[in-house]
Amino acid sequence: MLKRSLAIITILIIGYWLAQSLAGVPFGEDKMLVGQYYLDHVKDQTGAVNAVTAIVVNYRGFDTLGEVTVLFIASTGVGALLWRKRKKRTAKTEGSVVLTTGSELLFPFVVLFGSYIFIHGHLTPGGGFPGGATIATAFLLLYMAFVSYEIPHKAFEKTEGLAGMGYVLVGLTGLAIGGYFLFDWIWQTWQWGTGNIGRLFSGGFIPIIYTLIGIKVGTELSGIIDNMLKEEVRE
Amino acid sequence: MEEASKISRYLYTVIILFLIWLFLTASTDAQELEMGLVLSLIIGALTYPIFTTRGLANLHPKRVAYAVAYAPYFLWAMIMANLDVAYRVLHPARPIRPGIVHCKTVLKTNPGKLALANSITLTPGTITLDVDDDDYFIHWIWVPDEALTENEEEHVKAASRNITEPFEKFLKVIFG
Repeated sequence: MLKRSLAIITILIIGYWLAQSLAGVPFGEDKMLVGQYYLDHVKDQTGAVNAVTAIVVNYRGFDTLGEVTVLFIASTGVGALLWRKRKKRTAKTEGSVVLTTGSELLFPFVVLFGSYIFIHGHLTPGGGFPGGATIATAFLLLYMAFVSYEIPHKAFEKTEGLAGMGYVLVGLTGLAIGGYFLFDWIWQTWQWGTGNIGRLFSGGFIPIIYTLIGIKVGTELSGIIDNMLKEEVRE
Repeated sequence: MEEASKISRYLYTVIILFLIWLFLTASTDAQELEMGLVLSLIIGALTYPIFTTRGLANLHPKRVAYAVAYAPYFLWAMIMANLDVAYRVLHPARPIRPGIVHCKTVLKTNPGKLALANSITLTPGTITLDVDDDDYFIHWIWVPDEALTENEEEHVKAASRNITEPFEKFLKVIFG
């Protein structure tokens, strides 16, 4: 009881303190300094209509590279923590025909929709991370519906690594052509797609990087699901 | 059931994925179409073994025509069933006589069984609880007198006539 009331009082004090500091920030006023620059120049500098993806991938590409690395470490960490010599799915109950057939029929659609999200990253809300998570959901669907389903491990791990390397390679190509890492060479040097901003084949290297990220995130999260659903088998 | 050839199954998956892409983008921009085709070809190659067993045979004109006709038929059944449930809820005496009944189906394929189970569930008043081979166990909001019999055979016959058969005449042709 004493512990709980102390905790509530502490949280109230912290909340009041945060509210006090936020009260000084006026709501709804134009406070943009860098933001206005992004909005004014996003189209001619990056070719993307979606300002968020332009900032995340182009202006501040290093952050995204860091995020991809965090996700990779998370996946590796789960793999290392749950590492066992012999692992197997131990689910016992087979789903009914409604569940299994339903997930079989939905699977290609979910994968297609995930690809749609990451291909259109520079035009519509979304991008590589939501698209990849959607693709991983498709595999989760199969894991949940079937007792013995497993992702093709070899292919998945290789694809994941190749996609990650592809991202770095795109950045390194920028370093070679433009002088700094993650320089948008497709847009700035080749001027490819400059004529049709807002259509699919535009946006410099954003669609390419988001495709790589989508594939990487999709395979990675599927790998995490796979690791967590398996249990040790004792002889 | 016999499996269709790999090429036929692959082509069928690609066609369906490309149609979905057309609905998704709602654009006939040449760039969108090219990308959609490329993605359909890739995703189709990766997913066709899971997606279909019958392949292009699904696109038989008679099947497509029945599938198109099934949409308004099913919508009408759904509206009527909703009104029926609304009547039962609003009626002061609440005419509800719930029970679990046992139906049999003539459908053979898994997609057909899925479509039937979902059709039954989406028409209020009936919910599919379990499907086991050709046995359907259905929760019914008002079990009529003819299904309230001790005789198993009569019971199944009465329940199937009321629940599964109206959908089956379409689904039998669409899914076989």
